[in-house]
Amino acid sequence: MTERTYHKVGRRPWELRGTPDGAAERARARVPGARRHWLKWRDVHNPKTLRRERILADKKPLWWTIGLSALAVTTPFLPNSLISVVSIFCIYAAINVLWTLIVGTAGIFSLATLAVVGVSGYVAAAANVYLGVPWPFMLLIGPAVGFVFGAILAAPSTRLDGLYYALLTMGVAEICRVFVMQLKALTQTGGAITQVDSFIPEDWFLQRPGLLLGFAGAFALLLGALLVWRLVNSERLGLLLRVARTSREDEAFAEAVGIDFRRARLWVFVISSAALGVVGAFYAMYYRSISPQIFSLDQLLLLFAMMVIGGLGRAEGAVVGAAIVVLIDKGLPELGPIRIIIVAAIMIGVTIFAREGLTGARDQFRDFRKRKAGERRALRTEKGGEAMPEEATEVHDKQELYYRRFNKRLRDRLKGLITPELIEEHRRDPLGRHSDALGRVLNYFRRGEMADKYIIHRMEPAVEKFRIMAVSGVRGMPPRVVDDREYDDIREAYHAVFLLRVNDLLES
Amino acid sequence: MDLGLVIYALNLAAIYALMAIGISILWSSVGIINMAHGATFAISGYAAWLATGAAKPLIEATFDSGLWTTVATASTLVGAALIAGAICGAIIYLLAFLPIHDKPNFPVRALIITLGLNIMTVQGLLWTFGPRNQGLPKVFGFGRWEIWGAKIRYDQAGTIIGAAIIMALTLAWLRYSRRGLEIRAMMQNGEGAAYSGISRQVTALPVLMLTGALAGMAAALLSQTIFFSPTAGVVPLLMGLTIALLGGLGSVPGAMIGAVLIGFLEAIVGAIPFLGQRYVMFATFAFIIAVLIVRPRGIGGLLDDTRE
Repeated sequence: MTERTYHKVGRRPWELRGTPDGAAERARARVPGARRHWLKWRDVHNPKTLRRERILADKKPLWWTIGLSALAVTTPFLPNSLISVVSIFCIYAAINVLWTLIVGTAGIFSLATLAVVGVSGYVAAAANVYLGVPWPFMLLIGPAVGFVFGAILAAPSTRLDGLYYALLTMGVAEICRVFVMQLKALTQTGGAITQVDSFIPEDWFLQRPGLLLGFAGAFALLLGALLVWRLVNSERLGLLLRVARTSREDEAFAEAVGIDFRRARLWVFVISSAALGVVGAFYAMYYRSISPQIFSLDQLLLLFAMMVIGGLGRAEGAVVGAAIVVLIDKGLPELGPIRIIIVAAIMIGVTIFAREGLTGARDQFRDFRKRKAGERRALRTEKGGEAMPEEATEVHDKQELYYRRFNKRLRDRLKGLITPELIEEHRRDPLGRHSDALGRVLNYFRRGEMADKYIIHRMEPAVEKFRIMAVSGVRGMPPRVVDDREYDDIREAYHAVFLLRVNDLLES
Repeated sequence: MDLGLVIYALNLAAIYALMAIGISILWSSVGIINMAHGATFAISGYAAWLATGAAKPLIEATFDSGLWTTVATASTLVGAALIAGAICGAIIYLLAFLPIHDKPNFPVRALIITLGLNIMTVQGLLWTFGPRNQGLPKVFGFGRWEIWGAKIRYDQAGTIIGAAIIMALTLAWLRYSRRGLEIRAMMQNGEGAAYSGISRQVTALPVLMLTGALAGMAAALLSQTIFFSPTAGVVPLLMGLTIALLGGLGSVPGAMIGAVLIGFLEAIVGAIPFLGQRYVMFATFAFIIAVLIVRPRGIGGLLDDTRE
């Protein structure tokens, strides 16, 4: 006997589903110090197996864990040049995640991100080199400077429109660059501060252990940036801002329900600027120097390209975009200027075809597929369907829809069978042998629903006097009288019921 | 202030006005912030350089007298720059307008695409021609007039006059032609224009070609003063953008006033001994930031207020 293969049915046969023990109590671990759960498990009922099942409603944490741990595990085995590429990727991704917070969550189109990084990096580096502050304190000076600078930058953002503000911040970056270039103390190094102390010991610098330590630091920085993103975007500030995100009307609505969204935006801006300050200090330590290159427009455009390719306003987009661009820009140096052209071409292509970058492509495809399915459904239900397309989407039990469609087609067929001859045949012999057509019609009538089914009522015992009633279909509710005609012969009554049913059928 | 400074300021203002008006018209009628305007500028400059280089033997063979040679060279240069600019405008139309003009987030996406085009152009030019500076033929010659003790270089005078003529022609075309009427209707109220039967798709092409040609003209004129390199478009783009914003995006008179203001500011800052050329961008941005903080909608907003 051959082994039988069973194929899973349903729309997502590949999806893993847990089968919890129905009797066991539900236990979920919580994040310490918070009421949140680690993963978004949901219990669902499987209508086919009639069992309880557990699905993971939000799989993003899983992907994040897989991706980040793969990065952490594989990097130590890479050659030296690739380790520094991965470290640079981590730093850029951290900057991009924080920038996403400003652009996506707060909705402020700021181009001063690198300026914040640069200014706090410069101040921290200067404190280290000229004041002799030890390097761990740079990680405190950086965010303090970022906080103050962010507060100064954020002040005009409520007053200016998006593009005007973007230009203003671009101007700030240019002013910073010129200011640094003019500093007399730095003229012999071209505006750069060198010899910055670092968490990487000096004799390890650019050696393998140093690179690994640098990668560890950059990876921790990325994790920190993601934590900041999570804490701001998904907690109270992010929730407040989600109300006022998309349009002017939403802003008015948010104001009407008492949400001070401007204040919330400023806070998001200032918090992410402080976090960018940490990145700045780290940047100065990682390279052991910081140069005016960080304020340049090219660098800014490269970072912007990363965000655009991944998807503006999404953390995963910022990281994926950074991975792609850094891989092309730093990973393939032998290509020369073509790699910038490739990055720009990818950016253009993604923007033309994708609504929200590469990470939004999945949602966009689903919307597209849904739209196409809707169009097809509309075409299909135009003929012979019993449920209108818009109603069909709301009926939960799809069997019901198919049953209705079947019924409709059946009724159409039966209507064609009903002729005067057929009625005459039934009148002659309601119970006897029937022709095929009459048999089919009567079979359909017999299968009818209980509600409003006709019955024949013998009015007095042992007397041939009948009338027709209809069942209510509700328990305890008596049948109602359909009309006041009385029949002396049961066969006549049978035929009368038949006529009523035929009438109902033709009217439906 | 001596006259030489005024002429220098006007020279800068003329170039900036050509760029800023293009950006301003494009934003208010089509809704694109054209970051590829600098790319158009650079490509037009290179096209003019190639065209004059290719036509030089032919022109020298045809004409004997100096005057006719100059005229032929000048028309080749300007014509090549204008045509290249218009073609760039058409390319921007095909890439940044046509595929996405009815999709969500159109302004941001158009900005990103034009930005990408700009980066691609700069890198492509670097790759093709190398970072070397290219000098275009000086059609105005080298020389200067002396008027009331001030020296005016021919190229400065030519730039100011050429820019003024082109701007006057453009404004007249916008004012008196049928197509110009449509463009002005779109600038005033895009939806209203659509309701009165003006097609956005059809009108956007001439707007983009016109603004591209304006950038080409700016390139042709500036080529008389500076050398051309692949990154030559960056500063005109930045200045054009900032001036368009200073003028209040969408206001042509605002952009002109802004260009003159910035031109004078640059000339004066450059002339002050302890500031000098290095602080020019610094001063410009500081000025514009100050203006935008006081008047968030720029000079155009100010003009609208006084009109009301």
